[in-house]
Amino acid sequence: MKGAPTAAAAGPAGLRQFLVRFPFLPALCILIVLLALNGIFEPRSLSFRSLTGIVSTYLALMMLAVAQTYVVYAGDIDLSVGAIVSLVNVAIVALLQQMGGGGLTVLAVLGIGLAVGLACGIVNGLVVAWLRLQAIVATFATSILFTGLALWIMPVAGTPAPAAVWRTYGGRILEIPFVFWAVAALALVLAILARTRLTTQLLAVGDDAVRAYQSGLPVTRIRIRGYALCGVFAALAAFCVTGDTASGDPLVGAKMTLSSVAAVVLGGCALSGGVGTVTGSVLAAVIIGLINSLVYFVGTPSEWQNLVQGLAIIVALMAGVLVTRWARS
Amino acid sequence: MAKLELRGVGKAYGATVALRQGDLEIEAGEVHALIGANGSGKSTLCKIVAGSVRPDRGEVLIDGRAVTVRGPEATGALGIGIFYQELSLARHRTVAENISLPRLPRKGGIFVDRAAMAAIADRHIALFAGVAGAGFGADVPVERLRPDQAQLVEIMKTLASEAAILIFDEPTSALDRAQAERFFEILRERKRAGVGIIFISHRMDEIFAIADRVTVIRDGETVGTARIEDTDPTAVINLMVGRHEAASADAPPDTGGEDGRASQSAAQAVLAVRGFSGPGFRDIGFAVAPGEILGFGGLHGQGQSAVLRAIFGALPGASGEIRLNGDALQPTGPRATIARGCAYISGDRSRDGVIHERPILENVTPIHFLRNRLGLAHPARLRDKAAPALEALKTKFAGFGHPVSSLSGGNQQKVVIARWLIDRPAVILLDDPTKGIDLSAKADLFALIRDLADEGIGIVLYSSEDAELLANADRILVFNGGRVTRVLSGAERTRHNLYRAAYEAA
Repeated sequence: MKGAPTAAAAGPAGLRQFLVRFPFLPALCILIVLLALNGIFEPRSLSFRSLTGIVSTYLALMMLAVAQTYVVYAGDIDLSVGAIVSLVNVAIVALLQQMGGGGLTVLAVLGIGLAVGLACGIVNGLVVAWLRLQAIVATFATSILFTGLALWIMPVAGTPAPAAVWRTYGGRILEIPFVFWAVAALALVLAILARTRLTTQLLAVGDDAVRAYQSGLPVTRIRIRGYALCGVFAALAAFCVTGDTASGDPLVGAKMTLSSVAAVVLGGCALSGGVGTVTGSVLAAVIIGLINSLVYFVGTPSEWQNLVQGLAIIVALMAGVLVTRWARS
Repeated sequence: MAKLELRGVGKAYGATVALRQGDLEIEAGEVHALIGANGSGKSTLCKIVAGSVRPDRGEVLIDGRAVTVRGPEATGALGIGIFYQELSLARHRTVAENISLPRLPRKGGIFVDRAAMAAIADRHIALFAGVAGAGFGADVPVERLRPDQAQLVEIMKTLASEAAILIFDEPTSALDRAQAERFFEILRERKRAGVGIIFISHRMDEIFAIADRVTVIRDGETVGTARIEDTDPTAVINLMVGRHEAASADAPPDTGGEDGRASQSAAQAVLAVRGFSGPGFRDIGFAVAPGEILGFGGLHGQGQSAVLRAIFGALPGASGEIRLNGDALQPTGPRATIARGCAYISGDRSRDGVIHERPILENVTPIHFLRNRLGLAHPARLRDKAAPALEALKTKFAGFGHPVSSLSGGNQQKVVIARWLIDRPAVILLDDPTKGIDLSAKADLFALIRDLADEGIGIVLYSSEDAELLANADRILVFNGGRVTRVLSGAERTRHNLYRAAYEAA
């Protein structure tokens, strides 16, 4: 593999190739700009403490953006990721409430949570790839199904999670906050996944499903695996939500679904499939978090906050998309 | 015993028979060429062997054993590799990934063995060392490659299957001389190693350079196989033409006034095109006299559709001079050309014609709205305008309010054509207009086109069915490699001449 240093030397053509090779670069630049802006308006926002805060709040969205990415790789979409987060959240909180909050019990319950996420993902995969329903409609339908299950498990929000969960999530290991260990673990897992056959196959299917089929790839199975992987990462996102909010809420994930889609696009993925990186999606999830905190630090009156947030996300999306389009032209 | 044998294989899509009777025998260590006119069933035959199309009947035998190819996934185990004419590459993946895509080398159960993948890629890229051209490499995404380079990748991908049966469906259409030569050397090598190869090409010289035997397929039927040393290009073309040739019986009966029409000067022409170049065609020039039907012929995709779409303004990037009734026409977009009296009718109704799920009336009137800048219209008066246009084509429909999708393909196409007839256009561009419509609808359509021509409307007809072209066009421009290589008029309009011009090396 060739190294990085050619970008500046080779002029615009070199820069374009560089951008095509690393499609998450625009997201990275936006992230740096946002960090700088945060620092200008509120110097304390760049302190270790507040950065830890941002990561603990938005780790769930980072996980969920990763989940969405694997589905979008194959040209599909999953509008049920938020509902899976809710379902896993209430499932583990309810189980912990019944079984107590001991260390081993928590681990066992988290295992069950992963299984629930995986099952939801496989259901989505079967409905979309095997029954061949439109991904956008089918996963909207399953999202209602999953939300229904979550409401059946826990009709109202507010059941607290055991202390072991949120103390660990908000705590430190070897003087480093737990969430940073989690980010490191995520990076490692993503690096491993990027080297699997499944990632290459998902991208090939997203590139052109008919051609992938003609090449002899098991297209249906590959798409189902993409959804399964998505379900697992949605469950991980649910763990983060549980750790961050310390309670169960059957509707907690609903508003995260479209944020995950926005993060995936902002991170450089094409919704038509075949192009993108998980790195970009993770960075973009942090961008969405930083925009929210920036809007607060700038001192936007509360009634204007949504409007400004929306505008800022549009600007970020536009910048990213324009750069990507230029690079690919 | 034959390596691969097809016995009586057939496939139909609804009423359209893609392959009537396919019989083929491939020996190990043989290059077997398959040749036939547009739509004769070559690609269907190949896709049946490759498992991407399931035959309605007939048998496929490998090494004498009957097999069912359950899908492209199964071809690896059966030892079949196929080169797809339209390519099967993932554009955003690298050359190396594409070469190995059907069988990504595995490491530790779930990982891609990148080293093994790079080795496979290097081995196959080395086969074309020196001819692949600049910017070609294992790490380059396929979308960055030129068309000939992408075609090389598809060749490498097919070779990498290491299969005992290889199928190449027009593998050389974009290659230059040196690349094709190198490819043939590789084929000969594989042949010596005992591989059975099916080779489809439209280039007679290539077939005679590489093949051991040639099988001719005509109208979905394999009609003859000959050893290459026992035959010659003329004999092959005669076999392709078959009984049809029984003189030029399928040429239009009246040829009297037509030489006069053709020689009319460009000033009188309805449509005159000069030095017209664009994506997929170069330096096209022709003039359509009033009352003339000008045919575009030749193999699929030699630039015929592109020229028509470019004149209509639906294909950007063309340059040259277009005159409509003597005045310059700038094809800036369909709206502009429609306003000037251009009509374009595509065979791809679902993409370019029909407004799905909308009533028939709305499907007949959009051009009327556009040309008259109608804002509001009285439905009853619109019906009065639409009815004669539909009647002229003998369109069968239950009512104006029914959705257009309730009609058969032929009647849908009639609706699409009818929309151009309410306000008479100056010129009608027909882009393979009879694709997938039945015989009686075709007859109605061509009768109408002749009437319109007699009214003085200039007609350009591209048809992928040679019989249609020979029966209806007064003059035929034969396209080959994006250029007009021959003009057939009068008694020259025979199937034989058409094939000869189409199959010559460009």
